[in-house]
Amino acid sequence: METRICILLLSFVALSCSGCAIFHRNAQQDTATPPPSQSQSPSPSPSPSPDSDANSPPPSVIEPEVERRTVKVPTIHPSNVEIGAYYGEISIQDFGAQPVAGLRLDYHISEDFFGEVTYGRAKGGETSFETLSNIQLLSDAERRFTYYNLSLGYNLLPGEVFVGRNLAMTSAFYMIGGIGSVKFAGDQDFTVNFGAGFRVLPTDWLALHIDVQDLVFRSDVTGVEELKNNLQATIGATVFF
Amino acid sequence: MEFSITTTPSTRRWPTKVAPLIAALLLSLLAAADAGARDYLQLFVVQPYLELHTGPGRGYPVTQVVARGESVDVLMRRTEWFKVRTEHGIEGWAYERDLLRTTLADGSPFTINLGDRAGFATHRWESGAFGGAYAGATLISAYEALSLTDNLKIELSASQFLGNLSNGYLLDIGFSHVFMPNWRFSPFVTLGGGYERVEPKATLAEPLSSSNQTAYVGVGARYYLGRRLFLRGELREHEVFTNQNSNEVKNEWKLGFAFFY
Repeated sequence: METRICILLLSFVALSCSGCAIFHRNAQQDTATPPPSQSQSPSPSPSPSPDSDANSPPPSVIEPEVERRTVKVPTIHPSNVEIGAYYGEISIQDFGAQPVAGLRLDYHISEDFFGEVTYGRAKGGETSFETLSNIQLLSDAERRFTYYNLSLGYNLLPGEVFVGRNLAMTSAFYMIGGIGSVKFAGDQDFTVNFGAGFRVLPTDWLALHIDVQDLVFRSDVTGVEELKNNLQATIGATVFF
Repeated sequence: MEFSITTTPSTRRWPTKVAPLIAALLLSLLAAADAGARDYLQLFVVQPYLELHTGPGRGYPVTQVVARGESVDVLMRRTEWFKVRTEHGIEGWAYERDLLRTTLADGSPFTINLGDRAGFATHRWESGAFGGAYAGATLISAYEALSLTDNLKIELSASQFLGNLSNGYLLDIGFSHVFMPNWRFSPFVTLGGGYERVEPKATLAEPLSSSNQTAYVGVGARYYLGRRLFLRGELREHEVFTNQNSNEVKNEWKLGFAFFY
């Protein structure tokens, strides 16, 4: 008998618990279609009923108002391009050894290979015939020796240079060869260039070069068409970008 | 005892013209210093250790290692090598394939564009230089290409030709379509137009330079050599639109080295 009373009381308590989730849905339906007796009541009760709480959206536990921070990944600075200048001596065949100056642009394709574009200028001297006979074969403008080369280089012997006990600089002995053209003696000729050089880097952004190259082209400036070998030795400096 | 510091106005004053120059110099130095204080990419070592070489090359000795869990700042990249600085301020060069096993700060793997076969198939830019012939004259040529897709590229090429009778220049722009970009040997077709300038050499007749528009069609092939380097050869037929009654057809072939980046 006592057990039945307990069940009855518990059922009553459960039914009266309007906040219970099981009955939440029914409560919403009740408020959506309120009975006419409630709508016609002249004055609503001042205290909010449990039904009006159910009408409002359920409060969220965490308000996600924090904006997600977009992390910008810094880019890595590539440093494969070398730009610089060189100066030295070029032996223009038949026209003597003359100073030469030029600009160079290198792109390091890989650890081993690099591409190079050079533009150089020199001025041819007098041939022995001109010196002895006092007859000028070329005008002043025609003596201007300008060339450009497109070359591919290979770092044959990379290594390090040590200065004293505390300073080590990376270096490379490289072979280089390419094609280009030379403008000299009123004509422009196809040129093949090849040679070798040594590059040493005192810092990561500065390189010093010593280069020896031969510029070979076919010319008939001295009356007979033949291959002209023009050896040049230069020193230069480049900056890495 | 109190020390008093007295200052006397200097009789030498900076000339008014020099002051703005000095200010500009200081500002440029400050700008340079600001540019130097850039953010570096931070990578975390997840492999047992990361080797640091003394130089950007495979032969340079390994003198330092970075332990697992530590981070490095990537200062710069030179070819396949990255100069990094450890948390302890030690600098060294790490190989790109070793860095591929590191992670970013959020734990995601670090990825870079490697100079390998995958890069040969998919890359943004390529550049190269060639030797060849154009209508019997020796040709020197260079080109730059931008990949619109793996197959389709837009190309700009500049050439100089040196012949017995005339010299000249070519400037062309066009499209090329690579059929199988992931093949080591990949053929392509190309189509475009340009400009030709011919400068006849001094002969008995009065030399007259001429400039003409051209259109070309061509075929070629690329062959992957290794790293970022590949061979490229091409045959083109140029239709030169002259002022004469008929157009001229000139053939061009060229072969050379190119690289992608």
